[in-house]
Amino acid sequence: MKTPLAWKNLTHNRVRTAIGVAGVGFAVILIFMQMGFKGAIRKTATQIYDALEFDLMLRSPAYLHLTEPRSFPRSRIHQAASLPEVTQVRPFYLGLSEWQAPVLHGSAQAKVSDEVLQRAGQWRGIITMGTNPNDPVFVREDIRQEARKLTDSRFVIVDDKSKAEYGPTNGDRFSEADIGVKTSLGPHRVQIVGLFRLGTGMASNGACLTSPEGYVRACPWQTIDEINFGLLKLENPDAADQVKSQLQQIYGIPERPPGEDINYSAASLTNSDVEILTRDEVKAVEEYRWVVDTPLGQIFTMGVWVAMFVGVAIVYQVLSTDIANMMGEYATLKAMGYSNRYLTVVVLQQSVMLAIVGYIPSIAISRFLYWFVERESGMPMFMTPRIIVTVLLLAIAICVVSGMAALRKLYQADPADLF
Amino acid sequence: MMTSQSTIPATKGSFADGMRLPRTVKVRGLNHYFGDGELRKQALFNNHLEVRRGEIVIMTGPSGSGKTTLLTLIGTLRTVQEGSLNVLGNELLGASTDLIVRIRREMGFIFQAHNLFESLTAYQNVNMAAELLKIDPMIADGRIKSLLTRLGLGERIHYKPKSLSGGQKQRVAIARGLVHKPKLILADEPTAALDEKSGREVVTLFQELARDEGCTIIMVTHDNRILDVADRIVNMVDGYITSDVDVQEASVICEFLMEIPLFSDLNADSLSKIADQMMVHEAREGDRVIRQGDPGDLFYLIRSGSVDVIVDDGDQSTKVAELRQGQYFGEAALIHDEPRNASIVAREDSVFYALEKVDFRDVLEKSATFEQQLRQALFNRQ
Repeated sequence: MKTPLAWKNLTHNRVRTAIGVAGVGFAVILIFMQMGFKGAIRKTATQIYDALEFDLMLRSPAYLHLTEPRSFPRSRIHQAASLPEVTQVRPFYLGLSEWQAPVLHGSAQAKVSDEVLQRAGQWRGIITMGTNPNDPVFVREDIRQEARKLTDSRFVIVDDKSKAEYGPTNGDRFSEADIGVKTSLGPHRVQIVGLFRLGTGMASNGACLTSPEGYVRACPWQTIDEINFGLLKLENPDAADQVKSQLQQIYGIPERPPGEDINYSAASLTNSDVEILTRDEVKAVEEYRWVVDTPLGQIFTMGVWVAMFVGVAIVYQVLSTDIANMMGEYATLKAMGYSNRYLTVVVLQQSVMLAIVGYIPSIAISRFLYWFVERESGMPMFMTPRIIVTVLLLAIAICVVSGMAALRKLYQADPADLF
Repeated sequence: MMTSQSTIPATKGSFADGMRLPRTVKVRGLNHYFGDGELRKQALFNNHLEVRRGEIVIMTGPSGSGKTTLLTLIGTLRTVQEGSLNVLGNELLGASTDLIVRIRREMGFIFQAHNLFESLTAYQNVNMAAELLKIDPMIADGRIKSLLTRLGLGERIHYKPKSLSGGQKQRVAIARGLVHKPKLILADEPTAALDEKSGREVVTLFQELARDEGCTIIMVTHDNRILDVADRIVNMVDGYITSDVDVQEASVICEFLMEIPLFSDLNADSLSKIADQMMVHEAREGDRVIRQGDPGDLFYLIRSGSVDVIVDDGDQSTKVAELRQGQYFGEAALIHDEPRNASIVAREDSVFYALEKVDFRDVLEKSATFEQQLRQALFNRQ
């Protein structure tokens, strides 16, 4: 076997290698986090839509984003129901209301921490959703089960991913212990009757679900006849595009010229009070809204670049110092008849090893940080295979770029200086 | 017919051991410059040097004399600018990078600084040279171990440089320079960091490589403890090769000279000075080296071959003597300032070392008893 010079050099100078590994690791963790955040935004933007059951969606052309959906007349969904291809139409209410952290009385007060007592009575914005408890609009059976408990307009179920500031009894997350607790949602009193788990978004750290009647109690600026979303189920989900154009005719929405992509602008140009989107369009518009329209996505893309820059700077420093310390040795190799190509390979091997050695602990740390951020912020942080591979490739890229930069020094190694 | 004359000094040894042996290194008219424009400075001036296969050459000279420059040029570590430099059969002037890399693999370098990889053991450092030539690992393994053991590092084969002394590191570097059985070894003060015993071991190893493998060794050294291994001593001053002496040949010449009664009372130093003054002359079979009646200007020593001494008394030519290797002729005319008293004709292809009249006279004056002896010698001849 060939003498593994690159590996030997790495393992020989442990301190310097440790600095290099730390540099790569730092950059890798930063990139992981930025990508995780960006993925979380994407995910957050659409996770409520992902949980809803629909093939086509009706909503106001003035729709901005999930928590600013605007409303349209409920009668529009009945028009849609007239089409035989549409098997089911359901209204869905969603808006931001105010939640008061529960104020506990009597013996309950003694059982909770000071922290909880301090929070009690404070107001927070909360995503409030309204759905028919007899036929909830959610796909997941566990949510449907819980939603059936919303038999009274005073009842709410809360997302147990809501932050501690919403006042769970245990000071951390809503749990079974909070069932039965009473507090205020908007101008009225409500009672927690159950829990569900969905995850909160960018606009709010908490979410709750109630009935349509409960929703208009919480959001009194809206009536039961003004709905935020109309969810259509089709006989044949694959025919969504065709049904969509049929509906557009019914509503008098002009057909978009073929080839023109989805309209990402906040308000549609039609004078109709409703617009129709397929599931894919809903998702694309929402992602575009958060990742491209707002600075959020760009911030994280920038973050990746900054992390890479930092990584290159550190690794370059480590590799070039290493080369500088071994100029005589490398020059000797050249004198012996080793080609520049061999030396290039040694340095690049060293770079890639550094990348991999730095990457392995970093992925573990990042996994922990993902879990931690998700727990603390409720953002859905997923380490997808795509992110894992992308970050590994970026780590290698960082090291190879640094290696290339350091190589210039190596090419200067002049064996004539040895005598 | 005239004999062919040359400007080659006799002590260069070009004609020892027959006419032409393979030359590992041939330097012709080599100039080298450092710097550009105004700052351009010539470091080597019209250098000529020939090194035979298997020869051990020691280069000496004050620092800045150009010996290191010459060594790096021979070692392909610098680009040849002017003149011709032939190493291991390859012309280096204008050689391609590929060719240079190939030539380097046939050479072994021993630098003053050991330049060992701190991250590799002694064994692995040496193996870097073996691997490059794709030597069979089994053979390489044996060779590395025996070399290191030979150099007194048997116990420390798997030590890293950090745990070795300066001398030990230098010996590892020497092993690295030798392991691939190079055809040409270039060494810069290889023994400077070594004690007498290990220095001796290293030069003994050099001698064995030279003798058994035909390896040519050129080293720059100021270590006079190892001068005895040199086959050739090259001295450089200010970019010029001021002397280039084949030690063996110089001693052969001195021995020949010592046998000559004329020079018998001269000491070794004077003899070697005479040897230094002698130039090579060649003659083919039947060539007339000296014509009777010509003015005498050279003293000849027969290095190889044989000649007839022919005296022409007007009517007929008579061969009066036959002279062979180690014998001499042409002295009488120089001593008496007379024309040649006999003709000399080569019986076969012959080589003579000739001394100019001026130099001959110079020697003569230095020796008080010289004339006395000469007369005696001449008397004995008759």
